[in-house]
Amino acid sequence: MNFLKNTNIPRRTFLHGCGAALALPFLDVMQAHGAKTAAPKRVAFFYTPNGVAQEAWHPKETGHNFALSRTLQPLAPVRKKISLFTNLDRVKVPGTDGHAQAGACYLSTAAPDELSPAGYPLKRTIDQVIADTAGKVTPFRSLELSCNSFTDNRESVYFDNISWYGHGHVARSIKDPRKVFQRLFNVKEHQANASVLDLVRADAKDLQGRLGRLDRHKLDEYMDSVRTVEQQVERITKHQVDARDLGIEQPEKLWTTMRRDEYIQVMGDLMILALQTDLTRVSTMMVSPERWDTPLRFEDVFEKPIRHHGWTHNQNNKQVLSDLEKLDLFHMRQFARLCQKMDVIQEGEGTLLDNMMFTYGSGLSSGMLHECTNLPTVIAGSAGGQLKTNRHDQHAKGTPIANLWVSMAKAMGCPVQQLGDSSGVLKGFLV
Amino acid sequence: MDFWLKNIRSIQLLTLITLGQALGQAAERFDYHSIRKPASAAVEGVLEGEFLQASGKARPQDMKGFGAGWSGDAHLLWDGEVGDANTVEFEVPKAGQYTLAMQWTLAPDYGQFEVRLNGSLVETKLDLFSPDVQLAKLRELGEVELKEGTQRIEIKLIGGNAKAKKYRDKGYLYGLDYLRLKDLAPKPVREKEPERPEVVAVDFAEARSLMKAHCFRCHGVKKVKGKVNLEALAKRADVLKKVELARHAAEALAKAEMPPEDEPQPASVERAKLAAFFEGVVDEYVSANTTLEPVVMRRLNRYEYNNAVRDLLELRGDIYPLPEKVIRSSQYFDPASGRMPKGVTVGNRTLGKFQVERQILTGVDPFAIDLQAEHGFNNQGEQLSIPPILLESLLKLGRAIVSAKEFDDYTELRDTFFKDDGQPVATRLGPFLERAFRSPVDAETLNRYAAYHAGVQKRTGSYKEAIKSVVAAVLASPKFIYVVETKQGARAKTPANDYELAQRLALFLWSSIPDELLLGAAREGRLRQPAVLEAQVRRMLNDRRSRALAQNFARQWLRLDQLITAVPDFDRFQVYYSRIGCEQWKFGLQTMVEPLLLFESVQVEDRSIMLFVDSNYAYRSDELQAWYTKPEAPFGTRGNRSRFNTFTQVFRKRQLTTRREGGLMTTAAVLTMTSTPLRTSPIKRGAWVATVIFNDPPPPPPDVVPEIEADDAAIEAKGLTIRERLKQHATDQTCASCHARIDPLGFVLESFDPIGRWRDQYRGGRNIDVSGKLFGEADFNDIEQFKDAILARPDKFMRAFSEHLLSYALGRELKVTDKPAIDRITRRVLADHGRFSTVVVEIAKSMPFRHKTGQNERK
Repeated sequence: MNFLKNTNIPRRTFLHGCGAALALPFLDVMQAHGAKTAAPKRVAFFYTPNGVAQEAWHPKETGHNFALSRTLQPLAPVRKKISLFTNLDRVKVPGTDGHAQAGACYLSTAAPDELSPAGYPLKRTIDQVIADTAGKVTPFRSLELSCNSFTDNRESVYFDNISWYGHGHVARSIKDPRKVFQRLFNVKEHQANASVLDLVRADAKDLQGRLGRLDRHKLDEYMDSVRTVEQQVERITKHQVDARDLGIEQPEKLWTTMRRDEYIQVMGDLMILALQTDLTRVSTMMVSPERWDTPLRFEDVFEKPIRHHGWTHNQNNKQVLSDLEKLDLFHMRQFARLCQKMDVIQEGEGTLLDNMMFTYGSGLSSGMLHECTNLPTVIAGSAGGQLKTNRHDQHAKGTPIANLWVSMAKAMGCPVQQLGDSSGVLKGFLV
Repeated sequence: MDFWLKNIRSIQLLTLITLGQALGQAAERFDYHSIRKPASAAVEGVLEGEFLQASGKARPQDMKGFGAGWSGDAHLLWDGEVGDANTVEFEVPKAGQYTLAMQWTLAPDYGQFEVRLNGSLVETKLDLFSPDVQLAKLRELGEVELKEGTQRIEIKLIGGNAKAKKYRDKGYLYGLDYLRLKDLAPKPVREKEPERPEVVAVDFAEARSLMKAHCFRCHGVKKVKGKVNLEALAKRADVLKKVELARHAAEALAKAEMPPEDEPQPASVERAKLAAFFEGVVDEYVSANTTLEPVVMRRLNRYEYNNAVRDLLELRGDIYPLPEKVIRSSQYFDPASGRMPKGVTVGNRTLGKFQVERQILTGVDPFAIDLQAEHGFNNQGEQLSIPPILLESLLKLGRAIVSAKEFDDYTELRDTFFKDDGQPVATRLGPFLERAFRSPVDAETLNRYAAYHAGVQKRTGSYKEAIKSVVAAVLASPKFIYVVETKQGARAKTPANDYELAQRLALFLWSSIPDELLLGAAREGRLRQPAVLEAQVRRMLNDRRSRALAQNFARQWLRLDQLITAVPDFDRFQVYYSRIGCEQWKFGLQTMVEPLLLFESVQVEDRSIMLFVDSNYAYRSDELQAWYTKPEAPFGTRGNRSRFNTFTQVFRKRQLTTRREGGLMTTAAVLTMTSTPLRTSPIKRGAWVATVIFNDPPPPPPDVVPEIEADDAAIEAKGLTIRERLKQHATDQTCASCHARIDPLGFVLESFDPIGRWRDQYRGGRNIDVSGKLFGEADFNDIEQFKDAILARPDKFMRAFSEHLLSYALGRELKVTDKPAIDRITRRVLADHGRFSTVVVEIAKSMPFRHKTGQNERK
């Protein structure tokens, strides 16, 4: 079933302002699925670390058609398709690092008594929970991406990953766009993987009886991965999305030499491509890791490399605060640009964005005191018209963000009743 | 094993200096500079020729090119003219009857010799001629009586076989592979157990009254600071239940962290008594609770995977470029020689564009780096999982390695394992799988792989293709990827079996899989014998593969990776950047090599680990030397700076003239990576010292972290030094107790600027106050006194270093139940004045290293 076709839309439409990278052809997924089938619903998370500058983030108004705050300005072109949620909280567990928790526990919001051996409340994160259902038919159950361009080994795994299969089982993200490209489109490579799976599975079975309880969990991870890889091969073979048919090539530039905005956009393009061609319906994208106090360059935004984390603790200084707002604005621009790209991809009556829930968030509200109440949360898209948009819902203080996760899972058709400290669904989330 | 020769160790003369100390403890001060690797070391009674103390032109020769069979893959080679003689020496620890045998090499240009042992003739005419290079038959020389101490063997060239070819037209050679000594009356050598320090028993009533006087006000019913309520512990049994708390209390008291500085302090006797009480509780607990923390099965990390594949397939080098390897040269690292060269020419991975990683084997890329645990290493099971994406990488890697176009010329197994010799494939798969899986291979597994081979061979018509497919599968098998230990029937403390022990040793010392010698000892069931275990550890330390300790352990222990992205301000610290106007070229990354070479020199020369605190030498390039001695112009002129070579530098051993330098803490690398772009960060530096040097990492910072000004100019503009500024910061009581612990360890390094250069005062002219107190008892006013304070309490650092290394060896965090093992290791390391190999050997012999814990009993 080879349904993909090329168009002549210039890539500049997508990569405005960035250097040459990846040309995205338009693909009509609806045509592929046949006009009668509804477009699939998809979910993606865009995670920024260390919280946001509060005052510039929060709009003064609530409700329908609210006036955008300073930081939210870049969303103006897609404002009719976004929803803003405030007063959503995450659980905080004392004794472990605030930033590691922000990253690793954001999407699980595990209850404080569900501690991993390292002390973090870690569980299967909501993207993976959704993928358990939504990933049943797509070649890849989910796609984890990261734009962490640091080359040193400063922070632990908890600062660098937002997607987890469970305790000690990280859904490791890919940082190199070329590797993402290869993984998505190199069908032959996947098929070659299948050849030894029976052999290694037999070895794994041999081991089962000899291990202890904790070891068996580790081996289960391996068995799960064998199963996943096997399914991937099967479905990719059936799906046959081949890069050659798309007429695209892997990103030309080495990721380590990309500008910051370019890196985020190229990664975003790959994510969109995967969602658009129904290679997956669930994706996470960690824009930067938590803390990692190494200076990082933002071309055309700041003259010198900056330390995002350091700044967040020094917000009382006016100059620092205004720089921080600039940085938040930069991130929001990147998010908005991806939203716009999604919004020009037609799917039946609507666009890809309409069938998405593309979430912008952070595990901290203000980085200054590592607060995790009133987390910054924007969702773009309406999951196929299920969500009201162009609104700012201010919830009762102390509403668990886990309620949002549960509601999103429901919108994705995933039968989840409870997650972490959730106390139900989010009021008024669905139309 | 039918004999055991106690490891031979030359006796060092120690300079003993007794320091009168504030608390009247007389600590032995030993000369840690003088400890070196002894001249020769015996492995199970075998004295390798290449390690013998030999005179004249004798030198080791690598014999790998001549085939297998040479012990240690090398022998001692000598040449001379007829009439010349040379001597080799070895030592025996006790007088007695021995048998002696000598293993020689034969070759076309080898001569005829007369051999004398301690003056008496043992060979009258030994003819070493043979048309081919090969091993001679072992020469048994029968029983000899030896006195304790040095033995001399004189080997005199008396002529040449008529068929022999002269060497360089003048003389002849000999090759001596090894000497074998067998003690005919071995007495069990009992190792002297260093004395345990006497423990004063303190009863609960007395302890409680002391707590009431000094602790309850903050840690009592009314006020519970840091969630510690000591008043609630009404009887000794209550304290026993809170053993982790007791351990912390004992430590906080011993290091004088509690009561806080600004509170009334107990008399030193009271403090000691209270510490002894908590210590006693901990000891009571651990003697009753010996269940070790279970180790979770983990996978190999990226570094180990490379080494394991390299050794399994006998490759000439790495399979992919490893950023983990900072120093780009392996030529000089030769632990068997016991000597580091005076100068080493090395490339530096982190330096400059020319070090960009290139594939070694076409199409073979490493999988993503494994991050370190927050307080530990990147080999902990909890952090190492196999998600689908990694399994994909592993499946692909296995295929890519064997099908790379360079592979056939890259493996030593091309003409053996990978070539069809007509024998059934199972005969060669058996040993291969045993080595790959580090365990005996059952018939079922063997048949499975043999059947797979047959299938591929049938399909492709190629034996070689089929065996390569088998290898690709093996490299993705859980039996290869995971560090498997059988837990069937394992209880609280079950000895690891011989194969498991072999695997643990190989991972610990080589970050790899066991070699044939280690597997052989395991197969024969001998590895668990203490003497065999120790001999293997010493052999492994002598192997070049032990470089993994420097590359993998030391780099992580020192957290050196953090230097890579340190960004001293480009305008203020231009010397950090080698090209004018170009921020990409960081000359300063050269500093990363210095601490690593210090570590390697201590390891190779088997010196005292106290050199990590203070050494009188350092390995530095010329520019780096000038960095310290001529900080204003390390390059001389601007022109030199632009010509700076980013490919390789020569690092020479320099005798240091000031004790400000030396050791790890004062290296520019450490001082730079713990600074921010525009100023030093005493908190980061202090946290580094607390974590790395004392293994006492501070807790994660609280949520309320006011940032200090980023630029020291802004602080100085307020008329403050950074110390004064931080003092303002730490006035908040919740911050004060932690900062009191961390900050002094950072303040003492304030004499070094943000890129590690000495400064007498701040830029604004203020004097630098580096004074402080270590463990609440040793005042210091400069860095030298600070080092002295640590050196005067060597057990503190020795314990911390042993803890780091044990945690690395076990692949898990240490728990209170490991304390007896650590106590024991520390006592022995102290008794041996911190000798590096003693730390390693004692860890390998320790209870936690030799045992495993079942996992089914615990909830």
